[in-house]
Amino acid sequence: MAVITLPYKYLERLTRTDKKTILDKIALIGSDVERTEEDHADVEFFPDRPDLFSTEGVARAMRGYLGIETGLPSYQVKPSGISFTVDPALVTIRPVLGAAVIRGVEFDDESIQSIMSLQESLHWAVGRGRSKVAIGIHDLDTVKPPFRYIASPRSRKFIPLDYTEEMTMDEILEKHPKGRDYAKIVKDFPLFPLIVDKDDHVLSFPPIINGERTRVTIDTKNILLDTTGTDTRAVGVAVNIICTAMAEAGATIESVGIGGVQTPTLAPAERTVSVQECSRLLGIDLTSATMTSLLQKMRFGAVPVGGDKVKVQVPCYRADIMHDWDLFEDVAIAYGYDRIQALPPATFTVGKPHPVQVNAALAREAFCGLGYLEVMPFTLTNEDTLYKKMRREEKSGVLHVMHPISIENTVVRTELLPLLLEFLALNRHRELPQRLFTVGDVVDSCLTYQQAAGVSMHPDADFSEAYASADAVLHELSIDYTVKESADMAFIEGRRGDIIVAGKKIGVFGEIHPFVLNAFELEHSVAAFEFDLRAVPGYPAL
Amino acid sequence: MAELTQNEKRLLAVLEKEHKADAPHLASLLDATSEAVVQWAHLAEDKGVATVERLVAKEFVYSEEGKAYAKNGLPETQLFRFIMPGTTLADLQKHEAFRIGFGQLRKKGLVKVDGTSVVKIPGASTDADEAALNHPTASDPRTKELIRRGIVQESETVRYAIAITPAGLSLAKKGLDLREESGTLTREQILTGAWKTANLRRYDVTKLPKKAYPGKIHPYQRIIAEMREILLEMGFTELYGGIVQQSYWNFDVLFQPQDHPAREMQDTFYLKETLPLPKGYEKVKAMHETGGETSSTGWGGVWKEEKAEQCVLRTHTTSVSIQHLAKNPNPPVKAFCVGRVYRRETIDTTHLAEFEQLEGIVMDEGVTFGNLLGILREFYHRMGFEGVRFKPSYYPYTEPSLDAEVFVEGIGWMEMGGAGVFREEVTAPLGINYPVLAWGLGVSRIAMLRLGLKDLRYLHRSDVAFLRETPALRYTKGGE
Repeated sequence: MAVITLPYKYLERLTRTDKKTILDKIALIGSDVERTEEDHADVEFFPDRPDLFSTEGVARAMRGYLGIETGLPSYQVKPSGISFTVDPALVTIRPVLGAAVIRGVEFDDESIQSIMSLQESLHWAVGRGRSKVAIGIHDLDTVKPPFRYIASPRSRKFIPLDYTEEMTMDEILEKHPKGRDYAKIVKDFPLFPLIVDKDDHVLSFPPIINGERTRVTIDTKNILLDTTGTDTRAVGVAVNIICTAMAEAGATIESVGIGGVQTPTLAPAERTVSVQECSRLLGIDLTSATMTSLLQKMRFGAVPVGGDKVKVQVPCYRADIMHDWDLFEDVAIAYGYDRIQALPPATFTVGKPHPVQVNAALAREAFCGLGYLEVMPFTLTNEDTLYKKMRREEKSGVLHVMHPISIENTVVRTELLPLLLEFLALNRHRELPQRLFTVGDVVDSCLTYQQAAGVSMHPDADFSEAYASADAVLHELSIDYTVKESADMAFIEGRRGDIIVAGKKIGVFGEIHPFVLNAFELEHSVAAFEFDLRAVPGYPAL
Repeated sequence: MAELTQNEKRLLAVLEKEHKADAPHLASLLDATSEAVVQWAHLAEDKGVATVERLVAKEFVYSEEGKAYAKNGLPETQLFRFIMPGTTLADLQKHEAFRIGFGQLRKKGLVKVDGTSVVKIPGASTDADEAALNHPTASDPRTKELIRRGIVQESETVRYAIAITPAGLSLAKKGLDLREESGTLTREQILTGAWKTANLRRYDVTKLPKKAYPGKIHPYQRIIAEMREILLEMGFTELYGGIVQQSYWNFDVLFQPQDHPAREMQDTFYLKETLPLPKGYEKVKAMHETGGETSSTGWGGVWKEEKAEQCVLRTHTTSVSIQHLAKNPNPPVKAFCVGRVYRRETIDTTHLAEFEQLEGIVMDEGVTFGNLLGILREFYHRMGFEGVRFKPSYYPYTEPSLDAEVFVEGIGWMEMGGAGVFREEVTAPLGINYPVLAWGLGVSRIAMLRLGLKDLRYLHRSDVAFLRETPALRYTKGGE
């Protein structure tokens, strides 16, 4: 999520109303006010609306929502006469370039801050951490057009931003903080992307760092924007969002020629949508006239065409409008979620529990009847708990997560019993006897199914208790079983039994081995059992 | 006055004659131990029929070391007596009392070292210390010092004098029923009618019972069960599905772009396992790349099969419900699923790497966004939340999207879950031709509120005492 700082004075000037009016309604366009301070508010916007990641963009949307200025904002673009060439060798490295000239900028500390923060938010939300899109902002008056976007040898030297000495591009990746942060995006390429001017001065080493030469300061009047990346649409969106935000702040936008094409145009996209389809989706009655005005409130251009259709002009900064329904959501927002009648659907249906959960509930009932207390351990655990402390072989079907958060959470549980023993250890100081059970999911080779397990810890816990309790629960679930001497090392030899159904082992019971008790640091004997709930007759196939 | 027990009555009967006596004497009369008699007497005292006086006698006795000193004098006295004019330090060091005694002599200022010889300070004497040793008294500070040195020990003897009160006496005079009491009603007594004359022991109802702990389901499970019941009542079919899901069902079918941050390794638990893509996946591919046959533009770029094949620990139960929809494309479908989901979060008091999610879907001809609001309002009302409101939100696979907030007394509006209408980009490739309303909520958030927990981990690593003490019915108002 992007949290945007909105300075009140600037916001009020751009929105043309007071801050209270704005803040009262700002959540209704889709945001969370994180905090309000003396002179600014921090507001969180959703990642699908990068056009709201600046004070300028928020003001533009709020003017519409509050009815101060509705409909499509129009942006004039005239050619700058500046051109770029793109080196064909970049095709496999970082092929897409977008650029624009922004003139008549009047920076103060606040507006420089605003554009830098917009740039960072876009890197995050649209640029996927600069890999998909990276943005560079330069003082145009420090360099000479035409510009060249080239694939450069890595030994090329220039002075990177915030430094005073020349470094090779390889050195930048190694030494510059930004170089270290983003090296992974380019380090495997033989040549590196580089933007240079007519005199071969370096503007930028995208997506890593600009040159010091073109640093933007409070005195900068004219800006050259470069945007590079791997995705044409995403690069275009980033250019449009920055240019329109700067235009909102009073600058004029000029296009540049890239490979003979003038860009950006900041022209809206068009979509013709059905009023009826929108009404049906939202569950509100709309006429083409109301829908038109609701869309205008959200800063779309809209005109009714024919009975059921509205022609919509989508501003160039609205990257999220991919489908007609995206417009319908804006209609709903403009209409107000609180005004939409909340009525459950009319179709009659009968609820039905899932048999897995029905059986789990029956097992829980049986355990409770025996005086067992339910616990709900985590499903992520580790090999040590599941196998080593239990003196058991690691199951072949155990799943290891690829990037565990800690050594405590490396695998998904394949059994429940070890987790119950862990629970007893956790509650060592609590009154005995302790009888605990759990019923829940285990995973074996990508298959999820349920098991049930119980433990009873007190000085007299023994094989007989384990057998009696297991028998009671199995009986309640109509599991017809036989018992065979077990070889499970977690239990004491001669005090352990395998639960057999249709010739297959489905569970085990007995007295926990003192080795295991020691491993879990338990001081009393434990009668325990665990079985696979798939042995319940009529159990659903999973 | 509370009822007297059999033992208290027996005690009173004896005291009627004795009036006041020591516990051992009464014990011999009652054929019991002194301790038992004192215990009965205390109980009788509580009931106002007897008094118990605790008499403590203090006396001083010698330790083993002290016994020797009482005979031979304190070590410093022994040395003091040994010192003659001209006695050297070396002479003194040979004396067996030197080790302890010399330090004491110096400390008390009785001697001084003059060159190699040790001389008595004029007028010095150990007589007072010896007198204190021979007759220790509680008021003498020298006795305290002897106790500190472990020479004299203080010993306490406690004696109980038990007496009858006038009330006790008058009760005893009225006559006490001294028949034998029985603790339990026996089968024989019931069958033979002997119960009619049996003297069943009376219990004191003012005492707390012995604690018994019933077996019961986890308070969190109870909340899950309550939610399931509400949804079953509302006509939803329950789903169950695997924890391990293909990225295809967890992300791709839900139109989550392959480069979406939530799909990255630092947010999702990936497994090295892969599963082959199901038939018809090309439609999902086309949807991502170009928007397929819908009005959508798609995400653009190239959709990679191998990314979709990779298995993950499901990040939401939507991966289960979307598969149910794919198998059941005909309306109406109303289904829900409660299950563990996984996010690669650093575990702290309010974040877990695994937590329960409740998720529901409704697919039917003509269902609307308004119907979704209606279902949510109804569900939250039934959960006990009176105030429910909705605001715009964003989820990659729903449009329009919303967040539901409920009003909680003392806290204010709390975000409870997200919802929306599945995008056509999700439904179209699966051949679903009707709107699908979908919503999800974090079950643990409600559990924390209801159970008053400050730490989410407590749900899964619970204190047994907490589980035992949490009642099955937690009476609450307004969903607190």
